[in-house]
Amino acid sequence: MSEFFGPLDSEGRAPKHQQTRVAAFLISAHGALARQLAFALPPKLESAWQTELNAQVYREAEIVALMMRATSWIPDLALGSMAVSWETAWFPTPIEGIPDRSLAMAAGLATVAHAVHAGIRPAALLPMHANANDPFVMALRRIEFENGRLLQPQILFLKGPELVPFRSIVSSALERRHGEIRKLWGEALEGVGVTISRSD
Amino acid sequence: MPFLSQKSYRIRYELDGPANAPAYVLVNGLTQYAELWRAYRDALVARRFRVATFDLLGQGTSDKPTLFINQDDQVAALDLLIRELGKGPIFLSGISFGGLIALRYAIAHGERLSGLVPMSCFAELSPQLQLLGNAMRTGLILGGTGYLQDLLLPMNLSDQSLKPLLDKLDSVKRQGWLINDVYALQNLMESFLDFEPLTPLLPLIHMPTMILNGEFDFLTPRALHETMRVLIPNSSLVIIPKAYHAFTLEKPALTADLLARFAEDVLAGRWQGNKAVWIAPEEAGGELTPFPTGYDHLRAIPAQGISHE
Repeated sequence: MSEFFGPLDSEGRAPKHQQTRVAAFLISAHGALARQLAFALPPKLESAWQTELNAQVYREAEIVALMMRATSWIPDLALGSMAVSWETAWFPTPIEGIPDRSLAMAAGLATVAHAVHAGIRPAALLPMHANANDPFVMALRRIEFENGRLLQPQILFLKGPELVPFRSIVSSALERRHGEIRKLWGEALEGVGVTISRSD
Repeated sequence: MPFLSQKSYRIRYELDGPANAPAYVLVNGLTQYAELWRAYRDALVARRFRVATFDLLGQGTSDKPTLFINQDDQVAALDLLIRELGKGPIFLSGISFGGLIALRYAIAHGERLSGLVPMSCFAELSPQLQLLGNAMRTGLILGGTGYLQDLLLPMNLSDQSLKPLLDKLDSVKRQGWLINDVYALQNLMESFLDFEPLTPLLPLIHMPTMILNGEFDFLTPRALHETMRVLIPNSSLVIIPKAYHAFTLEKPALTADLLARFAEDVLAGRWQGNKAVWIAPEEAGGELTPFPTGYDHLRAIPAQGISHE
């Protein structure tokens, strides 16, 4: 077990089975966010903040397309069962205790997005000597970099005035989401010989 | 790796040195982690101190609350650690953000401390510091932890320290980049959104206090340390020559020596703050000299003619 991808090949590329597992996880997570955000987006924008929602839909879709094209894929028999547990985890869930159903759903979606953008750091798995010119390496760096920006609307929303009366339950729900998704990420990596040091 | 439990969060800490010795508790700066105090552990343990280091909430291997990190919670975490140390003399020191947490602790639990050493610290947000903080937060959001490091390194270290690092900056930044998460750093920074100046509370700090300020610190310049010197009754200000904001990283031997000497003087009853202004030696073990009479210590001019040819 290592905290990083490896052993790298002679050209500094991560092993294909590790690339496949990581790419599948990221595609599942960001694909789910793209779908859910697209459903939340009205055909005609009504509020200024929805411009950000529009951008997010395309950023998430871009990440999916990027991983599909930048990964060196190989068959991974464990993916079938793993994908089921991943897709179940992304399923839209309202935060209990918020009486307004649409607000509770939006907050639930924001906790998943926050946990994916903040808690999953794919570039942190790259060893120091990974080949910076390899598309998979560059894709992971790009995704982690974009995640920092994609996170901001979730932070604004979850800390924002609409959810102030529910601050405690929102914080608890977010902590729980982070824990669940970090656990899934840890399990996915563990199967390909990578361990994340801060996984619970 | 031991942890303390605060509410539902875990605080990672480390204790070194003899259990019954006077203790030094060291508090990290914003982007730091406990391992950066390694040289201080070695130096202070060799001087017969017990040394406690830890990662604040949101840092290193302590838990990282996902949405809010309250500065009162940081003080509560620090209090938990200090309670672990028993009833012997405790000296508390922190740098920058950690210095602010140390000030807060000293105001709230001063009776527990034998001495306080705020380093590169502030009790209030001057307009410059507030705008710099805003810019760093924006930099973090737009450019990630790596960009924040790119900003902080040249602001906080001297040319002498930076020059040998120039061709290996990626490896220098890597551990800080790995161990820090954008959302956690952002939460730490946003703990200032409702910040109230500590200035009116500084007179409540009655224990011996040595304030350390780098000569060339332009992130938290002299004026911010002067507020502490003036308002903390038993204080003195020590200026570290040719040092920038992160002098604890640049000059660990000198700084650890100053910390040890301060605590030894306090324990021996020799310490007198007198709100005096001192200039530290350039090397560990040298003599402190009084700031020259008749010169303004808030200015940067009074050094006498030294040839730079």
